[in-house]
This record gives sequence, C-alpha cells and structure tokens, in this order.
Amino acid sequence: MNFDDIKNEWNAESSEGNNISTDMLKIKQANTPIDKIRAKMKHEFYYQLFFLLLMVFIPFLAGFSTAIKQVYLITYATTCGFTAYYFFKFYTFYKNSYDMSMDTRKNILWFYYEMKLNVELYKALTYIIAFIAVGFMSAYLFIEKASVFAKILTNLSPVFLILNCFITILIIGVITELWAWFYYGRYLKQVKKVVDELDYE
Amino acid sequence: MKETENIFLNLINQHKAIIHKISKMYMNDAEDQRDLFQEIILQLWKAYPTFKGNSKFTTWMYRVCLNTALVYFKKDNKKVDKAPLDENIDVMDINENEGKEEKLTYLYTAVQELNAIEKALIFLFLENQSHRDIAGNLGISEVNARVKLNRTKEKLQFIIKKNGYEF
Repeated sequence: MNFDDIKNEWNAESSEGNNISTDMLKIKQANTPIDKIRAKMKHEFYYQLFFLLLMVFIPFLAGFSTAIKQVYLITYATTCGFTAYYFFKFYTFYKNSYDMSMDTRKNILWFYYEMKLNVELYKALTYIIAFIAVGFMSAYLFIEKASVFAKILTNLSPVFLILNCFITILIIGVITELWAWFYYGRYLKQVKKVVDELDYE
Repeated sequence: MKETENIFLNLINQHKAIIHKISKMYMNDAEDQRDLFQEIILQLWKAYPTFKGNSKFTTWMYRVCLNTALVYFKKDNKKVDKAPLDENIDVMDINENEGKEEKLTYLYTAVQELNAIEKALIFLFLENQSHRDIAGNLGISEVNARVKLNRTKEKLQFIIKKNGYEF
C-alpha cells in the first residue's frame, strides 16, 4: 500500500445512504465552543437577573437601619450598573455571528480571541461584584456593628488586618479564576490546542 | 427561502461524501460521527449566505467543513436538539466497507492518532489539493504547508506500519 493506492480508494469512495433532508436545516443549536459559551452566558444572565431581583428584598428581610439602607441602595445601584454594562457587552458577543468560510487560521484565531475576551470580561464582572460585596460587608460592620467591630479592630494588630485584606483579595481571585476555568476553560483549552497545532513549526 | 433551501440541499447532496469523510476522520465513534455530520450541515447552512459563487462550491465547502470539525466540541448530552438522524442521514459504516475498502479502513483507524491540523492536511491532500490550495485553506504559507504535509505523511505512514499493515 502507498499513498497513491489510498488516494485511489479515497476518490472512489462514494457516499451511500439517504439524501440530506430539510429537517437537518431546522436544528437551531450549534455545538462550537463559542455556541457553548454563549449558551452558558445566557443561563448566567437569567441567574444574575434572578439574584438582582432577590436583592431588592434583602433590606426588608434583614431589617436594615436607615443609614445602612442608603449604603445598600448605592451598592445595589452600582451592582446593577456594572451588570447591565457587562451584559450589554455579552449580548453583543452573543449576537456577533461568526464566519466559518474564512481560512482556518483566521477562523480559529477569531474563535480564540473572541472567547478569551469574553471570559476576561466575565472575570472582570465577577471581581467587581465580589469587591462591591466585600465593601458593603465592611460598611455594614462599621455602621450596624460599630461597637463589636471597634473592639475587634483594637484587639488586632495592623499587620494582621493588612494580611487579612490580602488573603481576602487572594481568595476572591482564586475563586474567580477557578470558576471561570471550570465554567469556560475547557472550551478555550480546546481551541488553544488547535491554534498551537497550527503554529507548530 | 424554499428555493434557496432546495438549491443548497441539492449542492450538499451532490458533495455529501466530503462531509462523510471529514466526520469519519475527526470522530472515531459512530454516534459522534453522526453528531459532527449534523453540525457540519448546520454550519454549512448558516454560512451559505457567504457563498457568493466566486470560487467553486467545493472550495467553500472544504473550509466550512474543516473549520467546523476543528472547533467542534462533542455534545455533553447526546439527546440535545437532534434531528431524527437514523431516518435522514447514514454515515457510512466502517464495518460495512471492510473488505471492499480495506485500505481506507486502515487509513481511518490511523488518522485517529493525528492531531486536528494533521487530519486537515491529510484530508486536503487526499482531495487532490495542491500545496498552494492547502496553504490557502489553512491560512499558512505554501512552504509551511509543504513541510507540514510531508511530516504528516511520514507520521501517518509510521502509524499504519505500526498498526501492522505493509506500507
């Protein structure tokens, strides 16, 4: 056997089976990594919307004082603002169609960078919301639990407090990175593998 | 719309062997082959408005089929959004071809050990594409296409020999 033999059989191989029917064109769900990420982002949008609605009731359920209610209102408005901005960006990504008829390099790089950009945007939103939440918790402790908080602060050294802040930021960072990787990372990894294979000299 | 659909289906049915071959090269499992086949049809249909007729239909089709196969992600849930496949498409069964197309059976087994780009190179080579056409389809230089193809052919030859077939 040699490549000429294989080529001859390859070219002689006919396509058996029934013809492709119009039913095949009616399927809406594509299965590229971009489509997978888009579908997940769509779900996340609904979850986020649900939590934002749920957040409206927190001041009433938790029995916030007037002072902390005002802080909460600012926090809530900021969260809504950032979420709306990022979800507008995700919506643009969602609606941006891809062109599979480009050459492979252009196509694969478009997929890779479009996915990477949106995963980074997703991480940025997660960081922002996490820091807003931490900021609100701090304000809550200062305003609502001032005496307890003051006692804790006087008993702790500044080095410990700074270390604590650093560890909190680190934990937020690790959780965000891991979550983004768990949720979207494998799609990025698959496309990156093809990019590397194409670039391999 | 109906007319466009008919023209498209007519063209695709004429060249469906391309889709069958790519599905078999990129997926080992019969069900995965059917899923990829379905995905390629979907992507071809979605991309059809970009076909302006400036190049041959098959040239355009090679790109869409290969690009789809390269970024295709196996379905997590096999029951998701599927047309009744058994009634509509038949991906050629490798076992059915045993004997009459033994060499191709060895080829399809061996290509499973190649990476996604190497599969694309071998596919285009078997489709009688020149180095220039291969380079154009993959978006790499002609020299690079030549080097990559030669390496891939050597690798494939080695795999086929390793699998116990004389080459």
